[in-house]
Amino acid sequence: MAANFWTSSHYKQLLDPEEVDVVQPLDKDKGMTLEDFKLIKMNMANYIWKLAQNVKVRQRVVATAVTYMRRVYTRKSMSEYDPRLVAPTCLYLAAKAEESTVQARLLVFYIKKLYSDEKYRYEIKDILEMEMKILEALNYYLVVFHPYRSLSQLLQDAGINDTSMIQLSWGLVNDTYKMDLILIHPPHLIALACIYIASVYREKDITAWFEELRVDMNVVKNISMEILDFYESHRLITDERINIAFSKLALKP
Amino acid sequence: MSENDTEKKVADRYLKREVLGEGTYGVVYKAIDTKTGQTVAIKKIRLGKQKEGVNFTALREIKLLKELKDPNIIELIDAFPHKGNLHLVFEFMETDLEAVIRDRNIFLSPADIKSYFQMTLKGLAYCHKKWVLHRDMKPNNLLIASNGQLKLADFGLARIFGSPDRKFTHQVFARWYRAPELLFGTKQYGSGVDVWAAACIFAELLLRRPFLQGTSDIDQLGKIFQAFGTPTPSQWPDLVYLPDYVEYQSVPAQPWRKLFPMATDDALDLLAKMFTYDPKVRISVEQALEHRYFSSAPLPTEPAKLPRPAPKRESVNPRASDFHPLEGPTVLSPPRKARRVMPDREGFDGNAYQVDKIDEHGEIRQAAGNYTGRNEQVPMSIDFSVFGSRPMSRPTINSADRSHLKRKLDLEFQHPE
Ligand SMILES: Nc1ncnc2c1ncn2[C@@H]1O[C@H](COP(=O)(O)OP(=O)(O)OP(=O)(O)O)[C@@H](O)[C@H]1O
Ligand SMILES: [Mg+2]
Repeated sequence: MAANFWTSSHYKQLLDPEEVDVVQPLDKDKGMTLEDFKLIKMNMANYIWKLAQNVKVRQRVVATAVTYMRRVYTRKSMSEYDPRLVAPTCLYLAAKAEESTVQARLLVFYIKKLYSDEKYRYEIKDILEMEMKILEALNYYLVVFHPYRSLSQLLQDAGINDTSMIQLSWGLVNDTYKMDLILIHPPHLIALACIYIASVYREKDITAWFEELRVDMNVVKNISMEILDFYESHRLITDERINIAFSKLALKP
Repeated sequence: MSENDTEKKVADRYLKREVLGEGTYGVVYKAIDTKTGQTVAIKKIRLGKQKEGVNFTALREIKLLKELKDPNIIELIDAFPHKGNLHLVFEFMETDLEAVIRDRNIFLSPADIKSYFQMTLKGLAYCHKKWVLHRDMKPNNLLIASNGQLKLADFGLARIFGSPDRKFTHQVFARWYRAPELLFGTKQYGSGVDVWAAACIFAELLLRRPFLQGTSDIDQLGKIFQAFGTPTPSQWPDLVYLPDYVEYQSVPAQPWRKLFPMATDDALDLLAKMFTYDPKVRISVEQALEHRYFSSAPLPTEPAKLPRPAPKRESVNPRASDFHPLEGPTVLSPPRKARRVMPDREGFDGNAYQVDKIDEHGEIRQAAGNYTGRNEQVPMSIDFSVFGSRPMSRPTINSADRSHLKRKLDLEFQHPE
C-alpha cells in the first residue's frame, strides 16, 4: 500500500458497514428497502461502466466514479439526487479528478444512445449543476485509492505470473465495485481478498505467502466471504427487481 | 459546516471586501468570516468558456489541498457554490515572497533569508512526503501570513507522483525556475524539479533579483550553463538520452563565490548541492533541511520578526508586469512539443493520466483523443467481470462454485495462526 494512504482523506473517511447501509429517510418514506437501495447502486455502477466504455476512459476513472457515487448516497437521498443523473455526473467529475477529462457533450450523446427511456434524459446543464452538488456532497474530497495498484504489487510479490490467476483477480477486483467495499475497507485488503479467492479457486496454494504478510487475515477472510456472498445473491437479481426498486423511487411521497 | 446549509446562507457567512487580485482562473476577494471573525481570501472560480463545468485546474488544486494540512501550506478552509460559481476560501495572507524580495525598503539579513528559505523547504518537504510535486515554485506563489509564516500556495499545477517511471509533462514552472532536465524535455522527473526551483528562490533571496532570467527555453539553458558550466558526461551521464537534448558549446563554470558574493560558505555549499545537474544526485528537500547551513549561526529569524512590506494597498492589479517571466518573448517550441502523448499506465493510486496539452500561457487542457480503454500491460478483462457489456452479464465466479469455495476458504483459514 502506498505509504500515504494512511494519512489520506480516503483512510479517514472509511466507514463502518452500518453507516453505509442506511436508506435515507426520504427514500424510506417511499418504501425503499436496503435491498432496493443496494440494487440501484449496483445498477448505477453498471451504468457508469457502460458509459465509460463508450467515452473510453481508464479503469481507475470508472472505479473513482463509482466510489464517488457510493459516497454521495451515504449522505444524500436518491429522491433528491436522482441516480440517473448522479451516475454520469460522477463519471464526468472522476475523469477530471483523475486527469482525463470527458466532455459533458459526449456523455449526453451516449446517454441518449444507450437509453431511450426518458428518465435517463439529462442535458449538459443538468450535469454541470449536479457536478457542483456532488462536489459539495463529497465535501470536496476527491482523492480515492483503489485496489488495482496494490493488486499488481501483491501479485508480483507472491510470485504469481500466470495470466489466468492475474485475470481472475483483476476481474474480482472490478466486481467489488458492485458492492460498497471501497467505502469500508482499505484497498490493499480488498486486493488481498481477491487474490485469496482467486488462489483458492485456481487451487494455487499461497498460504505460506499469506502467513508472512503482516495483515489481519480475519479481515481478509471476511471480505472474501462478503464477495462470495455477493456472487450468491447476484444470481437472484433480475431486471424486474431493479425495475421495482426504481418504481418505488418514482413514487410521490 | 452543516449539510443543510443552503447556498445563500453559506455565502452569507462571509462578508465580501475588496478585490485582492486576479489569477488565471478567477478573482480573489478579501472577506470576513462572520462565524469566526477571521479574515479570509475567497477565490471565485470562473466558469470555463467551453461549458465544461468546474475548472480543471481549480479542481486539481482542491483535490490536493484537501489532502495537505501543514503550517507551511496554504489552508483551504472551505469551499461552496454560489450563483453557479465555485468559491474557495483560503486563510488570508498579507503578502508574498516576491513582494518582499522586490521591496527596496526592506533589508534582508542572512538570518531573515535563512528563515524564509527554511519555511519554503519545510512546506515543500511536507508535499514530497505526501508524494505531491508542487511544480510551480516561485516567490509569487509563496504567500506570507501576518504572523510571518510563509506558506506554499497555487497548487494548480501540482500533482501526485508515485512510481519513479511516471511520465509527466515538462511544461511546468515559470521558465526561470525550471530545472535543466525539464528544459531538455524529460517526462520522467521527480521531486528534484522542485528542489531546483527552490534553489532559484534561495538565489533570488540572496541576490534580490531573479537569478537566471532566460528569455526562451534555449536561452534559459544558456543562462544556466553560463553560471554552472556546461554539464559534463561524468556530472550528468543520462543527459544525452533526454528527448530534447542538443549539444551546447562548452563553457566553464563560474566560481560560486563570484556568483553569490554575499553568501557564506555554508550557503554556497547548500546552493551547489541543490543546483546539481544530475537529478539523481541532486539533494532532496529533506536532506537540504538537515544541511549545516540551517544549524550554523546565524540561526533563522523568528517568523513574527521577519521584515515584510507595508500591507498591500487595495488595488485590482498589485503585480508589476515587468516581473512576470512569462511575458518575455514568446517561446516558439517545435510543433511536436505542443502535444505530448503520455502512454497510459496504471500509476500511483490517486492519479494516473495521459495527455496534457499546455499552451504558452501555461494553461493545461486535455488534448482530444486521449482514449485509454485498452491497456496493454494491465490484464484487465472486461468480459471477465460482472461489469460486462451485456445488461446483466456473467459474473467472474458463478454461484455454483461459490459454496464449494466458501467451504474451502473456511478450511484454508483454519491452520494459519
Ligand atoms: N490567500 C490569499 N491571501 C491574500 N491574497 C491572495 C491569496 N491568494 C491569492 N491572493 C491574491 O490574489 C492574486 C491571485 O491569486 P491566484 O492564486 O488566483 O493567481 P496568481 O498566483 O496571481 O496567478 P496564477 O494563477 O497565474 O498563478 C494573487 O496574486 C494574490 O495577490
Ligand atoms: Mg500564483
